[in-house]
Amino acid sequence: MVSAIKQVPEPQGQNPSEAPEGPGGSDMPRGTDGPHAQAAHPTPEHIAPEHTDALSGGLAGLPLRVRIWKRRALIVSLRVLRLVRTGLDRVFPGIRFLLRTLQRRWRRSLQFRTVLTTLLLSISSFAIVGAYLSNQIANNLFQERLTQAESETRYNVKQVQDTFDGAQVTDQSSVITLVYDTLNAVEGRGSVIQRRYVFEAMPEQTKPRNRWVESRASDQLTVSVIPKDLRAAVQDSGKDQFWASMQFPVGTEDRPGIAVGNKVTFNGTVYELYLIYDLDTAQQTLDEIQNVLWAGGAALIIMIGGIAWYVTRNVVSPVSHAAVVSEKLAAGQLQERMVVKGEDEVARLGASFNHMAASLQEQITQLATLSQMQQRFVSDVSHELRTPLTTVRMAAEVLYDARDDFDPINKRSAELLYNQVERFQSLLADLLEISRFDAGVAMLDAEATDIVQLVSHVMEGAAPVAEEYGSAMTLNAPEGSTVVEMDARRIDRILRNLVLNALEHGEGKPVNISVASNATAVAVTVRDHGIGMTPAEAARVFDRFWRADPARARTTGGSGLGLSIATEDTKLHSGWLQAWGNKGVGSNFRLTLPLKQGGTITKSPLQLEPADVALPGAVDRTVLVLGNPDTDGVPEGRQGTAAPRDTDVAPAGDVAPERAATGERS
Amino acid sequence: MKARILVVDDDEALAEMIGIVLRNDGFEPVFCADGGQALDIFRSSKPDLVLLDLMLPGTDGIEVCRQIRSESDVPIVMLTAKSDTSDVVRGLESGADDYVPKPFKPAELVARVRARLRPGDQKAPETLRIADVTIDVAGHAVSRGSERISLTPLEFDLLVALARKPWQVFTRELLLEQVWGYRHAADTRLVNVHVQRLRSKIERDPEAPEVVLTVRGVGYKAGS
Repeated sequence: MVSAIKQVPEPQGQNPSEAPEGPGGSDMPRGTDGPHAQAAHPTPEHIAPEHTDALSGGLAGLPLRVRIWKRRALIVSLRVLRLVRTGLDRVFPGIRFLLRTLQRRWRRSLQFRTVLTTLLLSISSFAIVGAYLSNQIANNLFQERLTQAESETRYNVKQVQDTFDGAQVTDQSSVITLVYDTLNAVEGRGSVIQRRYVFEAMPEQTKPRNRWVESRASDQLTVSVIPKDLRAAVQDSGKDQFWASMQFPVGTEDRPGIAVGNKVTFNGTVYELYLIYDLDTAQQTLDEIQNVLWAGGAALIIMIGGIAWYVTRNVVSPVSHAAVVSEKLAAGQLQERMVVKGEDEVARLGASFNHMAASLQEQITQLATLSQMQQRFVSDVSHELRTPLTTVRMAAEVLYDARDDFDPINKRSAELLYNQVERFQSLLADLLEISRFDAGVAMLDAEATDIVQLVSHVMEGAAPVAEEYGSAMTLNAPEGSTVVEMDARRIDRILRNLVLNALEHGEGKPVNISVASNATAVAVTVRDHGIGMTPAEAARVFDRFWRADPARARTTGGSGLGLSIATEDTKLHSGWLQAWGNKGVGSNFRLTLPLKQGGTITKSPLQLEPADVALPGAVDRTVLVLGNPDTDGVPEGRQGTAAPRDTDVAPAGDVAPERAATGERS
Repeated sequence: MKARILVVDDDEALAEMIGIVLRNDGFEPVFCADGGQALDIFRSSKPDLVLLDLMLPGTDGIEVCRQIRSESDVPIVMLTAKSDTSDVVRGLESGADDYVPKPFKPAELVARVRARLRPGDQKAPETLRIADVTIDVAGHAVSRGSERISLTPLEFDLLVALARKPWQVFTRELLLEQVWGYRHAADTRLVNVHVQRLRSKIERDPEAPEVVLTVRGVGYKAGS
């Protein structure tokens, strides 16, 4: 018998990956598929008819029931669907919020991104390593058990065969006793069953045979637990030994095991003898190892996550700290510094950052001090100049008043002195005003005031000058009052400046003043039809000390700061002051103010470019926008009668009449 | 009789020039160059009006103004080189009736002085009422019930101007013209400060005025 045993190493040799799966998984029989796959697979065809028989009992009321059941199924499924949908509706916003939060964190936090990436990578690499380890261990455990099982089987089968061969067959009971005793001995001694057996007579034996013993098995096992492939292999072969992974019931549970099959002959009858080896202990060992792997893996991943978090925090936190500090610096908190610890790269970053901040602070402070000193100097000079200037002015005026008693030379001198002191005083006043703006001490003293009344007042004040130039002034304003929150003193100054400028450069042509308001803003335009401005001139008209024509400016006087001060006054009101000019056609200045302080202007109620200008001169037209660029163009709320159609070209040689006193105006 | 004017200014040249101008216009100037002595000279000379420079060595102009106002209702006109709102308002609040910013014209100065000296000469016996306040125009007295309220001449003029035409709303410009004597527009802060001072004296609750009412966007009017 011994010689007849043939080992079948192929299953695990050819299919090493499949074999170890057995002990680990529940589908152990697959391990045997290898070389015996071609073995017969009797399909249980009888099952189907049995089923129809069982159903045929209630065939009569079937259509009705089917319909009822269909309806019920429909209702139930609809309800389930609705439940699921409402559930999802509740859950979805939460999930979306969570996803968005995660996405934002992913985008915004380098640390989060690094930690998450590290975790995902380590989880996947650990899964690969764990699977490989687990696989290897399972494989080895199985191989070991299999080798043991095969050698033990060979020995035991030989024992059984020897006992059977030497047995004296006399009567039934002794035969039964002999067989049972022999087989029970196979189970091994002691309380633990080392191996189980299934002893079964080969079917379809024609030879005279032993009818006393048909089959026998340990516990409650039957031959059905033996895989069919194995049985077929055993039955078909001669005296070879085969094995297969299988499952067998012990108590209420199924256990993995290895069945090793042989043939034994007793008294001329061929029996199949299968010895079943329990893999439970191996499985337990494997489970334990896997548990250890799981626990170790989880611990390792948590540790890796923690380490990644710690390391990135160490690197990232100085960077984010630097970001916070630089934001504060940018916001003007110049004393902000980074915390510097150690001597590493991060510390170097911090140190150089602090160095940069310090030098920045120093320079800014120096600049601020310088500019403050300069402004203070200008202011002090202006103040200190005022007292002697007052004396000079009074003296000049006394002389001027008495000029008729002087000879012509002294008289003219007194006049010149008087006029130039006036001019000097005006310049000084403007300088002081500008220095106040530069120092940032100009305060807005806003109060609700009727701007139409203010405009009328300004026009009244300018009436003598208008008469002097021979210009007519027209006012185009809405009925009633237009109350604006403004500093009347400053707005008065701006408008007076604009009106006097318009008269001065108007060459005796009419000056049109318009007032209009919309929901958020009020606008005043001052339009003249005089010499106008070129685009380049209009662009510079608000610059300090700028003059369109230096030669001309001498005679008309003014400090050259009037429009600069007007610009500053407008800025203080968060308004717009804009100029439009066209050489020979005239110019238009527009002041737009928010109705309430703190309000914003979306659109000026009046057009900057006058409607009475012929469009073809597009090349010559120029628009200078100060402050917020607006999207004007549509005359909103424009008052009934627009400025008269007066686009005459200024006649050559038409010189504005001389003015006696121009000192107050710029 | 020549009106006597005390000129408190540390700048000798300016003081002298002011003196020339004032003399030229028929006033009698008295000079003081030091804020510390201003009060003594004020007491001894008994001027009809004080021209006071705000920037003085020793005691500063504001303090001098306060001292003089504490013992006299004499009109005070400040001379100021600073036209910053805060300085002007501080000066007015310390009791000055008017101010002339440097550099000023002689005519301007004289006009201011004359306006302040213009006494309520042709005042007919007349009694006016605003709310629960009684004004005796000729007697230059204001009272609420039996309680007498002390006002400076300027404050009195302001109140009388409002009380004479209780139906009219006075713009600040109109008040400047009627009370201060400005022909052209001047600093309307004068009106604001003096209305506040007036209110602090005659109103029961200056936060909720009943005598001098504000008409938003226009000006002031008398309470009914």
